[in-house]
Amino acid sequence: MTISSRSGSPGPDAAEETTVIPVVPAQDGADETTTLPPIDVPVLEDEEFEPQADRDATFRPSRAGWAARSAVWLVLAWFVLAFPVNFLSPFTLGVSDVSAASEAAIFAIVGLSLNVLLGYAGQISLGHQAFVGIGAFTSAYVVVDLEMGFWFAVAVASGLGLVQAAILGAVSLRLTGLYFALVTLAFGNFAQQTVFAIPELTGGEGGKEAPRPAMFDSDYSYYFLCLGFLAVVLFLDWRLTRSKAGRALQALRENPRVASSYGINVKAYTLLAFAVSGLFAGLAGALMAHHDEVIVNQKFGFQLALLFVLMTVVGGLRSRSGVVIGSAFFALLHSGHLLSLLEPVTQTIFRFSLVDFITGTIGLPIEFVALVIGPILLLLTITMYPGGIGQQIAPIREWMLGRRFDRHAGKVTEVEVNDVRA
Amino acid sequence: MSVLEIDDVSIHFGGVKALQHIALRAGEWEIVGIIGPNGAGKTTLFNCITGFYTPTSGTVRYRGKDISNLPVHARTALGLGRTFQNVGLVKNTTVLENLCTAQHLQVAYDPVSGILGLPATFVEESRVAVRARQILELMSLEHIALERVADLPYGMQKRVEIAAVLATDPDVLLLDEPGSGMGPEEAHDLGDLLLTLRKEFGLTIVMIDHHVPLVTRISDYVYCLNFGEVLAQGTPDVVRRHPEVVKAYMGTDETDEPGEAGGAGSPATPQPGAHRSEEYA
Amino acid sequence: MNLPLYEQLALALTAGVLRGAVYALVALGIVLVFRGSGIFNFAQAEFGTTGLFAAYWALEIKGWGYPTSFLFGMGVAIALGLLTERLVIHPLRDSSRVTLLVGTAGVALAAIGFQFWWFNETLVMSMPKINEAFFMTPWGAVVTVQELITLGVLAVVAVGLALFFRSPSGLAIQAAQQEPVASELVGISVRRVSMLTWGIAAALGGLAGILAGPYLTFSAGFLSFGAVGALLPGFMAAVLAGMRSMPGAVAGGLLVGCIEQLSSLSILDGAVPGAGALVLFVFLLGVLLVRPQGIFVGKVATA
Repeated sequence: MTISSRSGSPGPDAAEETTVIPVVPAQDGADETTTLPPIDVPVLEDEEFEPQADRDATFRPSRAGWAARSAVWLVLAWFVLAFPVNFLSPFTLGVSDVSAASEAAIFAIVGLSLNVLLGYAGQISLGHQAFVGIGAFTSAYVVVDLEMGFWFAVAVASGLGLVQAAILGAVSLRLTGLYFALVTLAFGNFAQQTVFAIPELTGGEGGKEAPRPAMFDSDYSYYFLCLGFLAVVLFLDWRLTRSKAGRALQALRENPRVASSYGINVKAYTLLAFAVSGLFAGLAGALMAHHDEVIVNQKFGFQLALLFVLMTVVGGLRSRSGVVIGSAFFALLHSGHLLSLLEPVTQTIFRFSLVDFITGTIGLPIEFVALVIGPILLLLTITMYPGGIGQQIAPIREWMLGRRFDRHAGKVTEVEVNDVRA
Repeated sequence: MSVLEIDDVSIHFGGVKALQHIALRAGEWEIVGIIGPNGAGKTTLFNCITGFYTPTSGTVRYRGKDISNLPVHARTALGLGRTFQNVGLVKNTTVLENLCTAQHLQVAYDPVSGILGLPATFVEESRVAVRARQILELMSLEHIALERVADLPYGMQKRVEIAAVLATDPDVLLLDEPGSGMGPEEAHDLGDLLLTLRKEFGLTIVMIDHHVPLVTRISDYVYCLNFGEVLAQGTPDVVRRHPEVVKAYMGTDETDEPGEAGGAGSPATPQPGAHRSEEYA
Repeated sequence: MNLPLYEQLALALTAGVLRGAVYALVALGIVLVFRGSGIFNFAQAEFGTTGLFAAYWALEIKGWGYPTSFLFGMGVAIALGLLTERLVIHPLRDSSRVTLLVGTAGVALAAIGFQFWWFNETLVMSMPKINEAFFMTPWGAVVTVQELITLGVLAVVAVGLALFFRSPSGLAIQAAQQEPVASELVGISVRRVSMLTWGIAAALGGLAGILAGPYLTFSAGFLSFGAVGALLPGFMAAVLAGMRSMPGAVAGGLLVGCIEQLSSLSILDGAVPGAGALVLFVFLLGVLLVRPQGIFVGKVATA
């Protein structure tokens, strides 16, 4: 067969002239199995170069290695699935802790949403709280005012998130990155001051009710609902990066010229990234509304937008596990639960009260801890570990996936990408 | 019929007339060489052909179809494949990924199914990977499949780039200085490679290069550009002896052996130049 | 609000120009940094708030005099600017523009965090004005002397900057910005120029913060998105100036102030809540989509 899957046969006049080109008609369905005919391609002089990447390709863990990895996986599963509901747990967590865990899962969805834009498409959004907020109020509105079901409300909120993000994305196509950041900032400001101030939508100062469906009324079941949605989002994100859309985004982020010469419609795929990001954000908003049960518009201020950017970047752009951990970390830090969870640990082990230290010695109220520590972590991340948490945990992640433990895995060596001269 | 027809193309940037009334033809299975000093407008011409620039006037035709107003990706879909002067690859990722990305248009599912993870997309993905490996094998590059492009030496990147363009399934290859950074021997091997690729894939090749021996050896027809205009055109021998060209560009190359032009891969094309005038103006 | 329209207009324009003076100061700093390093400095307004907090601390807690406190606040703002340059901008000089933007946003957030930390007992603060006097214009607008001082300072700063950029060090800055390598060769320290740029920008932010602080009460993040949220309007003014022209930034600041205040006209007010934010958003979109190169660009961006 030829390498061409299109009817790559040359023009009629030329075909008569030649006999050298083996044009074998493409056989339907059999394409995967046929190999290309061996042809004699002259080998160019190889420069001295030792391939590095294939070295560990044959590595398989030993039996003990598999056992250790399985044990770690089990602990992780226990931590996510059983620990919050006090199953087989040495600690006893209250309902508010589970609620905080739900919020962590929701923040993780937001983080993944922002990661699609910031990490995959290379577009910064400083107005992401607007997408989330509009999703939240839409879902509440659909459930309370339109008296429709919860699942329908979630779908509407996600859909609206998709549409508004796509519209904003259409604007971004006409602007360069930095100017677009300004537009998102203005959009967030507009949503906060104008849209969220419409009392019919947001219930004004007192907030808007957003009841949960009967099945997920308890904080425990709601946690698993959030976890389920997070799993779905993770799956979609995984497939996004492993399919043609993810490759297209990677190419256009790094070099739009090369991307388009590969046949990628740069504009369409940028819009697709916005749509996916908006979908996730709307979904997270809906979950957030029904998580809080009463959703207040003050929640969606500019600081929340910055917190979203912070947790995504600190988590590590383009690293799913990093973004999830970073988002959960900041969600817990933000609500103060991280400290109260760590408190018994530091009390018993170090005989030292972390909370007393921070509020007393340093004089920092718990609610501002995230605000002070977060930016410092952010600045440390971008100046010293551009890969964020994702970079730090990469060796462990690789190990858990059955590869060799490599301290240097996941090192982010950003190559300066010059625009291709064209 | 010519595969590629450029008619009276001019492009101005502000007051700068980068290209003026360029006419160029590339017939089926021809190798067309473009030479000319730096700043002559060679790459600008490529940008007009591939759609990065819209010419101020004139038309670009592909197999008789006017493609002057098509965006870049649509021209790639028609079969124009292009390499860049300084390697056009996604450098922060692996060679294999690049070849998968380059197959974008041949992937048989839509992006949304891909994101939803429909079963068929998994099958298609493995087919894409297999084909990428096949192309790498063909180019003797399979040993570096998992290397990050940025870690590779320049010459190897250049070859990966050609492999990536082949993965886009082109009919016409537009190569912007494929021999840059190569010595005479490597350039000679590159010539053999291009001749083989033309033979195996039935490609038409338009090539910009500074290696005059390379261009004259493998080209069927050569254009020499200077100051945005065609200074001379014709068979390699005609162009290299053209007094204007010698004066403007390559006086020293006169010492080259003339016999080289009929070297390794004798053109499989109908005798080029038969359908056009030997001189430009 | 049943005043005749022209009177409302006069009121709005007065308020707009006065508010716009603050925006213009912020915009000048943004333009300066962008010309110097191609960075969108989201920390610009927080240089101001931090300076304001320092001045407040000196004046109200330490009981220093007004001039001393003012200078102290300016000093803190400038120090923050220089620290930002040293600790964030310089290490990231080879990173992508978006990373740098996130970096400056990080500085802004860190500054806000420290402001909260510093004054976590008093959530809302107020600072006395330089001169508490105010008067009424014939068309009924209340104008405080403090606001007039701000306007005056803006004028002085604008002229001062114009003169500075014609002086040898000003020219050196321009040279270093346009041709870093060549400037290094002729003995201009690009590093020092970068420090100087950020120092001046932070001083401009400090001026905006300490002068605007007494307008109303303030709390952490005041100049970014508090009572006088000048960050977004400042950026809009800078965009109007094509991110390059200094006089353009001044004109842009005043224009943005006026446009924002026009939304308080009774024909608009009440129809939509938060009409100011809506108007600004639409205005920014309009400018960026129709004339991304800016409006007040001037012939050449020299001054």
